[in-house]
Amino acid sequence: MPALFINLLQRENSMLLEMKNISKSFGAVKAVQNVSLSVDKVEIHGLLGENGAGKSTLMNVLGGILRQDSGEILIDGVEHNHLTPIKSGHLGIRFIHQELNLINDLKVFENLFLNNEMTRGGLYLNKKEMIRKSYEIFEKMNLDIDPLAYVRELDTSRKQLIEIAKALLFECRLIIMDEPTTALTNEEIESLFDIMRGLKAEGISCIYISHKMPELFSICDRYTVLRDGKFISSGNFSDINEQQATEMLVGRSMADDVVEKNDCIIDEDVFQVEDLTCEGFFNNINFSLKKGEIVAVTGLFGDGRGELSECLFGARKMTSGKIILKDNELNTRSIINVIRSGVSMVPRNRKERSILKDLSIKDNLSMSYFTSKQISPLISNRVENKRYEINRKTTNIKAGDPDDLITSLSGGNQQKVVFSRWFGLDSDVYILDNPTQGIDVGAKFEIYQLITKLAEQGKSVLVFSSEFPEIHKIADRCLVMYKGEINKEFSRNDLNEVDVMYYATGSNKKGEVHGK
Amino acid sequence: MGNNETILRNRNNFKNEWKPFLKNLFIHHNYIFSLILLLLIGRFASDQFLSPASLMNLVKSSVFIGIIALGMTLVIISGNIDLSVGSILGLTAAIGVVIFNSTGSIFLTLIGCSFIGGFLGFINGLFVGLAKVAAFIVTLATMTAYRSITIQFGGGGPLIVENDSYFDVLRPIGYGKIFTIPYLVLFFILLTLIMWFVMNKTKFGRYVYAVGSNEKAARLTGIKVEIVKIAIFSITGLLTGLAAFLYITRFGSVDVATAGKSFELDVIAAVAIGGTSMAGGRGFIQGTFFGAVVLYAIDAILSAFLVPAFVNDLIKGILILGAVLLQKALDRTPED
Repeated sequence: MPALFINLLQRENSMLLEMKNISKSFGAVKAVQNVSLSVDKVEIHGLLGENGAGKSTLMNVLGGILRQDSGEILIDGVEHNHLTPIKSGHLGIRFIHQELNLINDLKVFENLFLNNEMTRGGLYLNKKEMIRKSYEIFEKMNLDIDPLAYVRELDTSRKQLIEIAKALLFECRLIIMDEPTTALTNEEIESLFDIMRGLKAEGISCIYISHKMPELFSICDRYTVLRDGKFISSGNFSDINEQQATEMLVGRSMADDVVEKNDCIIDEDVFQVEDLTCEGFFNNINFSLKKGEIVAVTGLFGDGRGELSECLFGARKMTSGKIILKDNELNTRSIINVIRSGVSMVPRNRKERSILKDLSIKDNLSMSYFTSKQISPLISNRVENKRYEINRKTTNIKAGDPDDLITSLSGGNQQKVVFSRWFGLDSDVYILDNPTQGIDVGAKFEIYQLITKLAEQGKSVLVFSSEFPEIHKIADRCLVMYKGEINKEFSRNDLNEVDVMYYATGSNKKGEVHGK
Repeated sequence: MGNNETILRNRNNFKNEWKPFLKNLFIHHNYIFSLILLLLIGRFASDQFLSPASLMNLVKSSVFIGIIALGMTLVIISGNIDLSVGSILGLTAAIGVVIFNSTGSIFLTLIGCSFIGGFLGFINGLFVGLAKVAAFIVTLATMTAYRSITIQFGGGGPLIVENDSYFDVLRPIGYGKIFTIPYLVLFFILLTLIMWFVMNKTKFGRYVYAVGSNEKAARLTGIKVEIVKIAIFSITGLLTGLAAFLYITRFGSVDVATAGKSFELDVIAAVAIGGTSMAGGRGFIQGTFFGAVVLYAIDAILSAFLVPAFVNDLIKGILILGAVLLQKALDRTPED
């Protein structure tokens, strides 16, 4: 048989996309190991996995942004192992990123055609044609967005839809959507799904990344589950239910190491949050913290958790509601006032929000003591060294010279310094936002012990976290957020990951979202 | 054998104690090396270059730029910039002359200059700190505005100290000396020591570094970033006011259109040469002191070599760029 014919035959029968045994490491971290994924012609494929499961890495390999260490990529049965963003674009693969890549100061149509501008004679922009095409695409998507509007004037959900329009503008065969619905309202999600079904009818396939079970079940044909960078399973959504999907997603065995905690909860409300609302992020949040209690708040991306933690600390203005600290209303007008009233916060994203990178270890440690406790304007080296020495022992910081820059420490030790920053203040309430982000397992365990110790000293601790094993280790209660509301509260005894995921993904609200 | 051991021990001593010290010195305080290098070059131009009198002259000529640069160091460490210092100097000096002419009091003139300089800086601080407008824009605007006020104020012409007591009280400050050290230089050294103390021994100093290093994190530790910024600009204004006072004592007159004009460039150059990071977060007061001297050492060398004046600025520009590039190459912080 002639080679060409064999080739054609293969094309006829092959999958649209096959990724075989893909591995990719970043230094010592194995982001994905031997993961396979196949997408048929004309299908919507759901890619499931928790944060850090390797979904984004795998998709970045497909988009040509990262190069795999090993493994094969076949498109239409033809090997394409060295993809680049341009090559992957030529092959008809479009990647809609989770974070918005639009330029606020340009108009909608200019953003749509950015880097693919239509021209007359190669130089002069053909605006008329670009605008006409933009109208065309919005009409097809059933959207009333003005191509001549500036992107900055649009709200987040509209921007998300423009990202999608951008992908549809050019010839494509496979669209990767990385959690496209986080910013969308229910109606918009519904119309996005209509668009996706329309695309499928035209023969365009889709890889849909999400943790939201109702959405996955209503739009996707097949699934692939990843966990900890490994392939777990793959099959048809019609063969499983949400419970099974969540179990595959979560999978791992429960905590190996147990954090000892004495029963130290005293039945006395220290911190009460009443009807707290921050428009656009969360609504009517109510909960209270007891003395010596550790409460975890969890949820998925876009649940308003991060904004809630900022509001509680006075770092973000609340729209309405109040916070009561020990029978007095907390004045959240300035951060320093909140700190002095007795609330401390370890912010999320250490590098961006905690670390003063040009300052020494001991200055990083002392900073909030300077702002809230110390009256004298002068700094005493002796006192500062003593403070460092005390904290080094209690939090077990491994460092050489306290005058070294904070950046000379490992992530875990940096975080211990940040913890120490607040320990000395002897606050009543400790808000910890993602306290173990980006630190290794050993240091994590030490941080858990510190948190437990805080509670045993009679502090109330509020931990914002997305990692279930962590919550399971330390929390007395757990609040699960979904789309800016507290969807469910678990006590320690009822706590299990499958249920938490069930509520975090809003599976209990399935009826409210949409049916197939 | 014993001898060998001693050599070995000495070598190890050098390795363990001196090497890190020198390395640190070279990475963070390389302006010292620049200064030594420049002085050696100057030695070629003239035998007199390294004489105590000539060195003292070098420091004396850098006093005005240097004092303002002390404040600019804070501004730049905090991640901002102040282009208005030249105009603040002009306006403050002009008002200072009028105060002295009408009162004849050196004390009132000093207080007046400090207060007006501080106030003009405070206005900058309000816009940068509270209104959160970029410092570059705010001070660009006040640079032109303050200059315009100065020219209006002086009616276009120079303001001359006319009070009879000028020769008795003001001039001795500008020209007098104790044991060969001019008052101006003493003043500069004293202010350098004070600012060094502020930046290294007070909470405020730490706040300045913290704001420049990571404003978001600084805010979350409870630092009132707005107030810190207002204070920084006010202090810079105050120091500029003091420089204006010394300017009057030295020159006895103020040309409203040109006094302090383009000072901001030399001031920023002095800070840059002194090793302060233009991105904020890092810098040293002592570096700025030497930076100002280095700047004038360059000037002195160029004139010693009889380089035509119009090439002067070109060479200065190249040397400044070189100094900053050197710092950038040396000061590599790990990008984790």
